[in-house]
Amino acid sequence: MNKLIPGQRALLFIGSLLFSLYVLAPIGWLVSSSLQSEAEITSVPPHWVPEAPTAQNFRAIFQATDEKVTYETRKQGDTATGGFIPSTAANLLPSMKNSFIVALAVVVLNLLVSVPAAYALAKIRFIGRTTSIYFMLSTRVIPDIALVVPFFLFVQKLGLMDNLLSLVITYLAITVPFSVFILTGYFESLPDELDKAARVDGCSRLQTLVLVFLPLALPSLVAVVLFTFLTSWNEFLLALMFTQTPASQTMPIVVASFTSDFNISFSFINAAGVLAIVPPVLIAIVFERYIVSGLTAGAVKG
Amino acid sequence: MARIQFESVRKQYPNGYTALENLNLEIADKEFLVLLGPSGCGKSTTLNMIAGLEDVTDGNLRFDTEVMNTVPPHKRDVAMVFQSYALYPHKTVYDNIAFGLKMRKFAKAEIDRRVRDAARRLEIEPLLERRPDQLSGGQRQRVALGRAMVRQPQVFLMDEPLSNLDAALRISMRAEIKQLHQAMQTTFVYVTHDQAEALTLADRIVVMRGGVVQQIGSPDAIYERPSNMFVASFLGNPPINFLKGRLGQTPSGLVFRNGSTALTLPPQAAQKLAFYDGREVVLGIRAEDVAEEGGAAGDACLSGRILSVLPVGSDQFLELEVAEAKLFFRVGKECRYREGEQARLAINLNRLHVFDPDTTDNLLWA
Repeated sequence: MNKLIPGQRALLFIGSLLFSLYVLAPIGWLVSSSLQSEAEITSVPPHWVPEAPTAQNFRAIFQATDEKVTYETRKQGDTATGGFIPSTAANLLPSMKNSFIVALAVVVLNLLVSVPAAYALAKIRFIGRTTSIYFMLSTRVIPDIALVVPFFLFVQKLGLMDNLLSLVITYLAITVPFSVFILTGYFESLPDELDKAARVDGCSRLQTLVLVFLPLALPSLVAVVLFTFLTSWNEFLLALMFTQTPASQTMPIVVASFTSDFNISFSFINAAGVLAIVPPVLIAIVFERYIVSGLTAGAVKG
Repeated sequence: MARIQFESVRKQYPNGYTALENLNLEIADKEFLVLLGPSGCGKSTTLNMIAGLEDVTDGNLRFDTEVMNTVPPHKRDVAMVFQSYALYPHKTVYDNIAFGLKMRKFAKAEIDRRVRDAARRLEIEPLLERRPDQLSGGQRQRVALGRAMVRQPQVFLMDEPLSNLDAALRISMRAEIKQLHQAMQTTFVYVTHDQAEALTLADRIVVMRGGVVQQIGSPDAIYERPSNMFVASFLGNPPINFLKGRLGQTPSGLVFRNGSTALTLPPQAAQKLAFYDGREVVLGIRAEDVAEEGGAAGDACLSGRILSVLPVGSDQFLELEVAEAKLFFRVGKECRYREGEQARLAINLNRLHVFDPDTTDNLLWA
């Protein structure tokens, strides 16, 4: 790195501080307000640091599972503050489970399909190879909203409405092309001679992939896992179309439903929001080391 | 142990490019065969086909009598060393060397014995726990050799294994590879574009160009009796000189003429060239086949102006302008010619090559 003159260093620091604030402020407010009562959230000026922190909102979420919330009982969850509990509150934890099942299934199936596909596209020369890469990638230029109707008909014909499988299938259609693209690029950056060496050393194609390429591709595998997990975890549009009952509703759908209830409880919504970002944040922390090296893909040449 | 046989083998890539046309080649058991040629001549393709890394489009590839066309690489008993070494970056040196044996389900003790034995022979024992990125180029090359050695394969394939090393290391590794071949008593097929490597290592050299074999023979035969102008120009440093001219019968014998230059060919050459009386030919003169005049007859000398003198330590290169052609010769240090002077160099007429200008074939050794 070039030497920085003192003023530059300070400017860079201030710049990055401002950017971090810009990115982190909404999350900070989400977390802070999830610990505030309804009255405190709506106070003017807002309190960035809760004056009277309370875990009532989270308690309400976990209690809501075994309590039927109706118009009459809606205020019972947040007794301390007199806030409201949404009528669909009981669906939150089951929906979180649904989100997990869908995301995990998508992550695993996506890897099973895209890893061998990417290896073949990167290391085996066959007719139509580049065409297939571009064709797959071109499916990503179609906005999801354009796919909703065809997907809907297809899911309906298969009788998969209100079934988690409908989400797994459609999310795979969205994530696989992109994963194949990322992994193909990475495998291509690994030298062909490595592939040849492994095969002469006694590996079949599959063994070459598993024993030599996968360990080297760990950073981009992590990138792919994160991408697919986050895509499935956050997806809203398709989930809204294909899920109708709590049996298959995912977290974004249920959290969104809180905004269209008898009354709106900001504190409850924010607490749910915090729960929703916990899994992605945990994953990011665990794999942080690999995410950084995944971004500098191709630097691991043999 | 294996004899390798190419029977009318053709290789065409899916994009339509033909890398090899009708290759017929027999590699004897325990032979050291070098495939030599410029890049894109099909030598690496040939090697990859022996390894099973490339399909055979047409024809047959046999190990001994067995046709190997569709046998995948992991079922062939071959080992390969690559130009880029291709070590597994995530494995230690020990595991790199042991990998091929593990894949072939050797017993742990046997693997350990072989790995340590190879490491001792290649003097890389202290490096066994390191990873490839902690090694120098020469050390990586040794590991790559070790990885191939421990397998004790039927066929040992090398794809420009020394090209990434510096000059000094290359020469010492050349000697080691030669020793390795003697110690292992197995078939070696070695690809290179470096004539010096080919000449030092090979039992036989195959010179290739554009997917077609130009000549197969011992290093001596290839150098002394090149079958065409391409082979002649590919070996030799500086490269062989070509001089166009016309043959003519005179009382003293068959004479090659170009402007004021007239060289009388020796009787045995004249005999072979009798049919070419009066026709145009290309004369090939190896850079080292000249000497200072020293009283040689006028019909065995080249005269011209010295364009440059390039000392190269042990010798010097002279650039001589003869009849508008620029010729390079290698002479001893005692040669006193200076730039701009007129020089007369005696030619060793017995070592001349004569080529047909149209077919480029060697007319003396056809």
